[in-house]
Amino acid sequence: MAYFSGLSDALRITFVQMMIVSFIAMVIFVYGMIINLQKWGAGVTGYALEPEAGSKGSAIRFLKTWWKQVTEESHHGHGKPILETLVLDILFQRRILLRSPVRWFMHFTIFAGWMTLFAMSGMMFAVEMTERFIELPFTAAQFREVLQLPNDIFGYILLIGVVIALVRRLFVSEVREASIMYDWVLIGVVFIVTVSGFVADGIRTGDIVWNIGMSGETAMAYAPPAALFHSVISLLFCIAFIPYSKYIHIIATPLAILANKGGE
Amino acid sequence: MAKKQPSIDTKNLTAVQLMELDSCTRCGECVKWCPTYAASGQKPGLAPRDKILRWRQFMNKSYGVKAKLFGPSEIPDAELEEFKDDVHGCTTCGICATVCESGINTVELWESMRTNLVKKGIGPFGKQGMFPKLIGQYRNPYLLDQKARLDWVPEDVKIADKANIVYFTGCTAGYKQLALAFATSRVLNKLGIEFTMLGEDEWCCGSALIRTGQVHVDEVARTLAKHNVEAIKAKGATKVLYACAGCFRASKVDWPRLLGEELPFEVIHITEFLQDLIKKDKIKWETSIDKTVTYHDPCHLGRHVGVYDAPRFVLEHIPGVKFVEMDRVKEFQRCCGAGGGVKAGIPDLALGVAESRVKDALDTNADILSSACPFCKRNLSDGRDSLKADIEVEDVIVLVAQALGLSVEEPKSE
Repeated sequence: MAYFSGLSDALRITFVQMMIVSFIAMVIFVYGMIINLQKWGAGVTGYALEPEAGSKGSAIRFLKTWWKQVTEESHHGHGKPILETLVLDILFQRRILLRSPVRWFMHFTIFAGWMTLFAMSGMMFAVEMTERFIELPFTAAQFREVLQLPNDIFGYILLIGVVIALVRRLFVSEVREASIMYDWVLIGVVFIVTVSGFVADGIRTGDIVWNIGMSGETAMAYAPPAALFHSVISLLFCIAFIPYSKYIHIIATPLAILANKGGE
Repeated sequence: MAKKQPSIDTKNLTAVQLMELDSCTRCGECVKWCPTYAASGQKPGLAPRDKILRWRQFMNKSYGVKAKLFGPSEIPDAELEEFKDDVHGCTTCGICATVCESGINTVELWESMRTNLVKKGIGPFGKQGMFPKLIGQYRNPYLLDQKARLDWVPEDVKIADKANIVYFTGCTAGYKQLALAFATSRVLNKLGIEFTMLGEDEWCCGSALIRTGQVHVDEVARTLAKHNVEAIKAKGATKVLYACAGCFRASKVDWPRLLGEELPFEVIHITEFLQDLIKKDKIKWETSIDKTVTYHDPCHLGRHVGVYDAPRFVLEHIPGVKFVEMDRVKEFQRCCGAGGGVKAGIPDLALGVAESRVKDALDTNADILSSACPFCKRNLSDGRDSLKADIEVEDVIVLVAQALGLSVEEPKSE
């Protein structure tokens, strides 16, 4: 059984390899999230309270406290409806736009590119898995071809955002001076994952920009490891690494914005 | 061997607040806007982003993955002590919350951190530690006799024994800034508004305790809130008027949470009340002020509860007032520097922030820098004096009284 990632047999990565890496990534992610939820759940459930004696951090306590705050009325008079918060503050990221259009453009392109590529990878995986058991009106290869253009478009959207982020952090003195390893690791990893994706695709398809000079048999030989490298670091850094790094903001920031009803 | 204990605990920090620490993206907006960070000469520890980073590190050392696997890492006392100083070097103005791209409710986060540390025996800051004992004993922060609560009331002011409206004077207006109390009571009399006062049953609102992380100490804040609510109920009032932004915020936001129930009366700032009367054409002005006036939004009235328009509406309707805005107004206002216990704890820092705000006002060429909070008035006046600037600092209600032809002075004895 082969995991689909190319146009010919020579360009395939084995299904087993991918499943093992995916499983490891998910286990690391789930473990980290449990630790984080327990860490958050070590907090109290309301204003001016103390933790119950002997109680440990609990994910359930966190979720209950969060939901209570989401649904209770605000005394501050700042609260916005959940739907508005969800659409404008979380998906559209209005709070960033209000502060800095450039930073909003940077963050939104990363967000939109990343999430769409993630969703399309998921769809590709789903099609290939389904094809094993049910006959579909199209093949996985045909579906891959359909996704090629949107993959390219959203890949470049992501790349634009990542490059702006990197340039800001490297060349804008106030940003560079305030940056700590916590920040550098995030942007560094996103950059490596993005570029490795382009290179893996470039070697496979013979793209003159991204094939890094490989063609013919060399490309045939290097395409699978390049694809594997991209897939592995994507899974490890972009899923497994989330709970242990600044990536956690992908989960915590929307939850905070919702809990505070869009913020002040 | 006994299991190593974490150096910090999570008392007073809600589960959501602990999550908020991980939601910070370190965008740096809070750093750009923080008034104490700027006035301190950009002391790194005062930057809101830095405080979040440090407490997140404390949490990870105590409850994170490494702590789970290998036991918690110790946080030196000196580090916690330094953090205490930094978290108290904040006026709780809330601009960091307004500009926070992650929507973090920073004011409550700082207050919870303060309380958490106080419970651990670290903090509060300097003489703030005397607040619970003194306010608990004297029922006001000025250590004055409760029986003297109404000593300021001049003969011309009529106060009903019971009424639908209570004027909650506040300790500062009732003992120290009497012009504010004269103005408010005379304006209400002039407009034919029957009101009552609590007299010696008016206790401190508790704001100083809550803001400095001492909400829990001996239950003083809760006792004050409970007493005040009962006293207001005993007067039969359904509306309570405030000319002090600190008391207003404490009553509107903190009392219901301390008591765990909604208040049985409406909490109204005097400018909101006057705005309503102006709209109903119930105010007949008598004197023209003929000055250029700018307005400083008190943090406790503006950002904390969202009252921005009423004071401006009132000022714009006073005859002869040419109203001008400063650059940083409403939700983006620059704090006066007095709040969060900073005036009492770190007066130099408070003065530095006040000077910045007075400079904002001077840039507008206004004759009067107005506000709606006695603490703002006091600190802005100090900032003005420090700069030797030629600008009057006055409360909106005092300007209203003057425009109604009322004195805000104590009557001269015969």
